[in-house]
Amino acid sequence: MASATALAPPEVLAKPAARVLSETLGDRVLSVSDFRGDLAITVTRGAWVEAARLLKDHRELDFKLFLDLCAVDYLDKPGYPERYEVVLHVYSVSTKHHVRLKTQLPEADAKLPTLIGVYRGANWFEREAWDLYGIVFDGHPNLSRLLTHDDFVGHPMRKDYPTAKRHVLKVPKEFLLTVPENSEHVLINLGPSHPAMHGTFRAQVLLDGETITEAEAEIGYMHRNFEKMAEERTYWQIIPYTDRLNYCSSFMNGHGWALAVEKLLGVPAPPRAEAIRVILSEFSRIMDHIVAVSTNVVDLGAITPFFVMFRAREVIYELLEACCGARLTVSYVRIGGLAQDVPDDFEARCRKAIESVKDVWKQGHELLTRNAIFQNRFRDVGVMPKDEALDWGWVGPCLRGSGVDYDIRKDQPYSGYEQYDFDVPIATTGDCFDRYLVRMEEILQSLRIIEQALARLPKGPVITDDRKVALPPKSEVYSNIESLMNHFKLVYDGILPPPGEVYGYTEGANGELGFYVVSDGGKHPWRLKVRPPCYNIYQAYPHMIKGGLIADAVAIIGGLNVVAGELDR
Amino acid sequence: MGLLDLFKGKYVDPTYPGVHAGGNVVTTTLDSVIKWGRRSSIWPMPFGTACCAIEFMALSASHYDIARFGAEVLRFSPRQADLMFVAGTIPDKLGPVLKTIYDQMPEPKWVISMGVCASSGGFYRSYHVMQGIDEIIPVDVYVPGCPPSPEGLLAAIMKIQDRIKNGEQAKEPQGAHRVGAPGDGAIDRRARRQFWAQDDAEQKRAGKPPRGVLQLRVLPNDTDEQHG
Repeated sequence: MASATALAPPEVLAKPAARVLSETLGDRVLSVSDFRGDLAITVTRGAWVEAARLLKDHRELDFKLFLDLCAVDYLDKPGYPERYEVVLHVYSVSTKHHVRLKTQLPEADAKLPTLIGVYRGANWFEREAWDLYGIVFDGHPNLSRLLTHDDFVGHPMRKDYPTAKRHVLKVPKEFLLTVPENSEHVLINLGPSHPAMHGTFRAQVLLDGETITEAEAEIGYMHRNFEKMAEERTYWQIIPYTDRLNYCSSFMNGHGWALAVEKLLGVPAPPRAEAIRVILSEFSRIMDHIVAVSTNVVDLGAITPFFVMFRAREVIYELLEACCGARLTVSYVRIGGLAQDVPDDFEARCRKAIESVKDVWKQGHELLTRNAIFQNRFRDVGVMPKDEALDWGWVGPCLRGSGVDYDIRKDQPYSGYEQYDFDVPIATTGDCFDRYLVRMEEILQSLRIIEQALARLPKGPVITDDRKVALPPKSEVYSNIESLMNHFKLVYDGILPPPGEVYGYTEGANGELGFYVVSDGGKHPWRLKVRPPCYNIYQAYPHMIKGGLIADAVAIIGGLNVVAGELDR
Repeated sequence: MGLLDLFKGKYVDPTYPGVHAGGNVVTTTLDSVIKWGRRSSIWPMPFGTACCAIEFMALSASHYDIARFGAEVLRFSPRQADLMFVAGTIPDKLGPVLKTIYDQMPEPKWVISMGVCASSGGFYRSYHVMQGIDEIIPVDVYVPGCPPSPEGLLAAIMKIQDRIKNGEQAKEPQGAHRVGAPGDGAIDRRARRQFWAQDDAEQKRAGKPPRGVLQLRVLPNDTDEQHG
């Protein structure tokens, strides 16, 4: 066994993934570490594919759910002999474990064999790593620009690329597909500006009559460089950026980010803050599902549910506005708690919002669920089988629609979700109708959680009293020197977390929203990778619509609820 | 107010040329009538890309109800629209698409730049984000906010109505000189600091004070001559 693995504590080496990999790969496992409960295994470049296959197929490990693959640039970083590192995150639904697999690549020869043969979902992630970092994946079928445009020069996420250096795109890529010669197939562009594409992403389909024979998707039309900007922001300056990831439910992104940083710091938020976070997160989930369901049916021509269901969103907006002053992009969480306490009439406002949601849910349900046209358009359309969904890395309501019982709130409870009694709806077929049903049921379950949380809303502070994380109250700043100094230090230096890396994950409205944070002990994160739920979901979209009708393509996309801000970041 | 009422002189807008309050006959110009019609039935095309599009949905839904301003007929085809809402960040990749869609709209046309991202790039000063859509298309009304409140948008629609009434329309992209800017030096703070330090050194070598430092004029001593 390699000397590096021998350095790891025995209880870490005893973890199944570490044990199986060290036994099988021997000294090709370079190191095993455990930081804040995240198991990370570094292997040599040669063992990369073998290690991933082992993680996925070994009976004991069963890491079937592909989560994330990204690159990190350690330019001139002491302690890192090689410049690049490629990081894979996978999850095992059966054993409920995450694992991180890493390998290091030298600057002169940044090449790695592709993982597409193991996890189908790795395709776009590897393209992204090539696009942003210039890492070549041998054997990748289509290593081309994904997030940036074709006239872009350089790899922008590298540490030596200036943040704001732009390149103007003169002529956009017109064809993603080619029409075969001597055929009468028609090429149709869906997006980036198309009423059915909620936000800006693009699919191009080749039609034989009304049947789609070939499809290709392109993204990057909303790539606004959250990850690059985050490397120049302090930990709390990143909070407003997270609001704009999935802007249909912005509070949940901030919640996820705060939890990731709190995990890195080892500083929990007080119980009252966690309870309020849960309440507002669940309201955000409801808002998101309302958008998903109602705009989906707008695309099919039914505009009434949109007008009916958006009424509840307006009430929730008012609730959020009362708490923090903003309707949509709330920026209400802080690292270690919340910006301020909720207003006195919080509970009354919540009750009002609950009533409103119940009311519109009932109306929407009556308008849609047993509607014959709706059922004809949704049933057995866009079927995604269980195994494929896992392979693509699907999460959230879409994965549960395909029949996989994975909800982070149940399996890896955070923010006190273990105290609440709620059910996780699971469907069977994996078609559009199932995804609709799962979302509608989740709205009701969210209401259950909110009611329980309201009933036992604890008293107390809403932000931690750790003065290295949270600002002291203003009254103390003005009255004693120690608080003044804490205030000064915190504003000047920012939050300084210990060096290390964590993967924080929460159940966003679309599924697992992960933040992979690499800290070097400084006030900015060295690397922040968002694991966006839509990314994997939209990646599978062109494969789902092949062989179907063009009208079904429109029905499917709305139900997947792809949000461009989160997709392209 | 229907067109017939206008001609009856029942609710007469005295700003119209040739309108006589209370009269049965209204003389006006065809131009005024057309402008009146145009501003009361705007057909907007939402070019929604990001968070602002969600707030635009709130505007078009039942609570804020843009139908009150005659602007509820949302057209997703630019060929049927006369007002474009650019709602959200426009990255460089999307720029040519936006330009194409703007060009496809028939004249006369107006553009509302909704939110700070569309107006100036917002807080996304980065390698892939256009620093304001007026780099490539003319903008009539900029709405601040991230995202703007629906009330702000209603005000913007009313401003557009004023512009239609006055026959005003932006014709040239106001920020065309900025296409592709800022480069690596202008916004990247480290690069900017380096540039400033270099410039200061050069000024010093030339025996001049650093640029951007205000030279305070020393006032001559007011002696007792005036006050005494």
